[in-house]
Amino acid sequence: MIELAPHNKHSLALAAPVMAGSGAVGYADAWPPGISATMFGALVTPPVSWRPRRGHSPGRLAETPAGFILTTGDHNPGFRRVMDDHALEWRRLAVPILMALAGSTVEDWDRIAGRLEEEPGVAGLELHVTAGARPVDVANWVGVVRRATTLPLLVKLPSSQAATLAPAAVGAGADALVIGSGPLAAAVRQDGARLTGPLAGPAAFPFTLVGVAAVAELGLSVPIVAGGGICRLEDAQACFRAGAMAIQLRSLLWVDPAAAVRLVEALRG
Amino acid sequence: MIQITATLIERRSLGAGQELRLRAPALARSLTAGQAVLVQTGCGLAPYLRRVFYPIALDDESWTLRVPADGDWGHAWLRTVAIGATLDCLGSVGNGFSVPAGSRNVLCLGEDAPASVAGPGISAWALLPAIVQAASEGRAVAFALEAALARDLIPSQRLPAAVEYHTAIRPPRIPDRPASPGVGVAQFLPELLPWADVVLAAGSLAFYSELATAVRAVRYELGRGFAQILYPAAFLCGVGACQACVADLATGRHRICQRGPVLDLVDVVGEA
Ligand code: FES
Repeated sequence: MIELAPHNKHSLALAAPVMAGSGAVGYADAWPPGISATMFGALVTPPVSWRPRRGHSPGRLAETPAGFILTTGDHNPGFRRVMDDHALEWRRLAVPILMALAGSTVEDWDRIAGRLEEEPGVAGLELHVTAGARPVDVANWVGVVRRATTLPLLVKLPSSQAATLAPAAVGAGADALVIGSGPLAAAVRQDGARLTGPLAGPAAFPFTLVGVAAVAELGLSVPIVAGGGICRLEDAQACFRAGAMAIQLRSLLWVDPAAAVRLVEALRG
Repeated sequence: MIQITATLIERRSLGAGQELRLRAPALARSLTAGQAVLVQTGCGLAPYLRRVFYPIALDDESWTLRVPADGDWGHAWLRTVAIGATLDCLGSVGNGFSVPAGSRNVLCLGEDAPASVAGPGISAWALLPAIVQAASEGRAVAFALEAALARDLIPSQRLPAAVEYHTAIRPPRIPDRPASPGVGVAQFLPELLPWADVVLAAGSLAFYSELATAVRAVRYELGRGFAQILYPAAFLCGVGACQACVADLATGRHRICQRGPVLDLVDVVGEA
């Protein structure tokens, strides 16, 4: 078992070191072929806001060398609808579900976190910090959520700012850190329009690894989860060697689910 | 959806493009015209995103994709793959064309346009399996196709003999510019639309919008169930997780891998 919230009265014990990253399997309702909940130590939902969000306009995907940019704009049907549609199923799954809080909706965070305190289907939260945040912002945001809930709280940081922001997140009560969302990048879509957003896919992995290593060197007292562009066994092993206790997979589940299965099985040994 | 390894068993050149026939019985048997297959290209992790293809021929053992002669790096790699090599395929994505049981007269309408205009993988070639199937079921099939150049038209010998084939050369559509009336397949529609029981179409959104205008003009109304169109979308996961493929339809914002890629024309342009 891998304990991701060692200082929290609620445990967040993962039976496997691989998590399905935010939205990788939707709200646990969108499974790529061959992928099942039993492969993972935990599942993270797509970012959820209090009210429904239509997200970005269509044309959300652009390719980069060895990666892509995907801008959903935190598209989601809103907290109540998500809970109505999925909470029952989450209770039945034998794997912890973490609800991601949309980085674009800071004002919602305490409201959602407070409501989840008594929800048996949700084992914790993953709060998404947007690129460009300052340590003082992170301390405020994490503090707000921490006061609203005692549930295990993971804080996902932009990989390129991870070492700068990590102490503030931990100081304000984060139970674990996720490193992280890819650096801001731009690419041209097939129709010629330019799309700007976090880099994803294998191209993002070097940024993840340097972020994990930098945060590990800080010697903070919380577990580190590596996520962002992990596609191969070597990537996962490099993250563990750098100090991560668990990894998150997302785009690999979409692009090559069989490779994700192989990676999970190889880590099981 | 399944993930499967397909073996390249035949390559045909057509102009600068290529047709690749892939042996993959489990996939071929579950595919219908208009459903997408996401094919991995390249070696290693680049390109990372799969390429979207719609089958242009289907049998029990194999399916055929058409690699356009464009500058896409994944397509360029596919054009070099050796016979006997394997390709990783994810499919099928979404819903395909489906001709209602009572439809005797099937009208297929296609536009040849580059992917930058029509969308990834969308081409009139995607109608071919539906045309072949409808003809084999004894339905009357008419196919009207427009292209900017004669060399881009589908050769008539690729169609069943019984299919009535109309072709037109027209200058490429310019997005957001009004259509010139009576050019391209539009010239055939006053005669063909009253005859048709069902329409299957593949082309750009502008092409579908002109089709809707023509249906309303010729048949006085556009009802649900009359016209099916292949909607352009960039697929990433194909299972509804990533939200890359969303489109703004008449009924709201939807994931095309779940709702489409074949949609009722009314879903796209609305009832009015
Ligand atoms: S392709 Fe991922 S949701 Fe449609």
